[in-house]
Amino acid sequence: MSSKFRTYFFIGKGGVGKTTCAASYAVKLAKEGIKTLIVSLDPAHNLGDVLDKSLTDTPVRVMDNLDAIEVDFEKMITKHLKELSAKIKDIYSYLRVLNLDKYIDVLKHSPGIEEYATLDKITEILRDNIERKKYDVIIFDTPPTGLTIRVMALPSVTLLWIGKLLELRLAILERRRVLERILGERAKVKIGDKVLELPSSITEDPIFKELTSIREEVELVNGILTDSKRSTVVMIVNPELLPMLEAKRAYEFLLRLKIPVKYLIINKLVEEESVPERFRVKVKEQRRSLELVDKYFRGLKLIKIPLMVKEPRGIDDLIKISEYLHID
Amino acid sequence: MVKEGLVRRFLNALSGTLRAKSTEYIEVELRELENIFALILLGSFIGLPSPPTSISLRLMPYMARELVIMSRVSERLDDMLGEMAGLFEIT
Repeated sequence: MSSKFRTYFFIGKGGVGKTTCAASYAVKLAKEGIKTLIVSLDPAHNLGDVLDKSLTDTPVRVMDNLDAIEVDFEKMITKHLKELSAKIKDIYSYLRVLNLDKYIDVLKHSPGIEEYATLDKITEILRDNIERKKYDVIIFDTPPTGLTIRVMALPSVTLLWIGKLLELRLAILERRRVLERILGERAKVKIGDKVLELPSSITEDPIFKELTSIREEVELVNGILTDSKRSTVVMIVNPELLPMLEAKRAYEFLLRLKIPVKYLIINKLVEEESVPERFRVKVKEQRRSLELVDKYFRGLKLIKIPLMVKEPRGIDDLIKISEYLHID
Repeated sequence: MVKEGLVRRFLNALSGTLRAKSTEYIEVELRELENIFALILLGSFIGLPSPPTSISLRLMPYMARELVIMSRVSERLDDMLGEMAGLFEIT
């Protein structure tokens, strides 16, 4: 499943300007004639506000070569659970008399379900583009760092689990096969008033098949996330101590996951000359935090964006910012 | 002739016993493997940390057999020592 499109993840602490930077870069690419999709994964959507256009769960045309999506997580989780409940109903058909939906509904509040939903959505968008080849570049505007790095760690963690479960499953199937050979018949199990024959080969066992199919899906995403030719993480900070420290931790974490981080945008830089006397302390703080950049983020390409007098909104403002974004 | 028949019967009986012995062990092993599989996936019932939700949710529809085994094993949990003794023929 090879495809030439590139993906960019813009990550950073809440409020540092992820959405603005991501949207500016999207606008820049679109103006260069590159077919671009920008996706907001942040449940507190403000991509629409930045682009000055109301967005939905399906791609909305913002300008030539640029589409945008704001993912509706509520809808996604509901859809996911509906499919699941249909599957369960299908298998436990003798329970059809009960109204299962309402019980399964509670899963919506499972801890961590947003992370899975986010990863599912990323997978869905990437898969769709592999098949339809509609966009050359997909830009993800992510939720604040904490959630994002957990989402990005999910594929590795899931693959680890699947590896172990498949190993165990193989051991089970192998023993079932041995027993079948010696006893000359298939093992059966009675559940309710149904007698089920137990599968003993990997081609028949639904659990083995489902595990393999989850693994394929996760490997697809993980392959893209960890391939520096296809994926780039852009980190955004403000010249203040806390965002720097948080970005440092995120950077180290992503390195461990082998996810390529290439750029560091220092957003909202105050030009020192222009600062009135009473804000001098702030400037000193900024200088001190900038000294950390060399120490913490060696190897990353730096991009500096000055603090805008007016909050950037709409395509024209974004074009101005995009002039600073020298990203490959 | 009589001698040969006796030997054959003895050998048949021996192989039958050995076969029964070997399957007995594999059966227990299989049951416990299935139990562990269920426990890992559904361990949150007894407070174990759960696997990534996407895995357990997607496997849930196929887990009926594992659930049955888990509940059977839990019925015998208060006599695990007896269970082990039976398996290794300690009397």
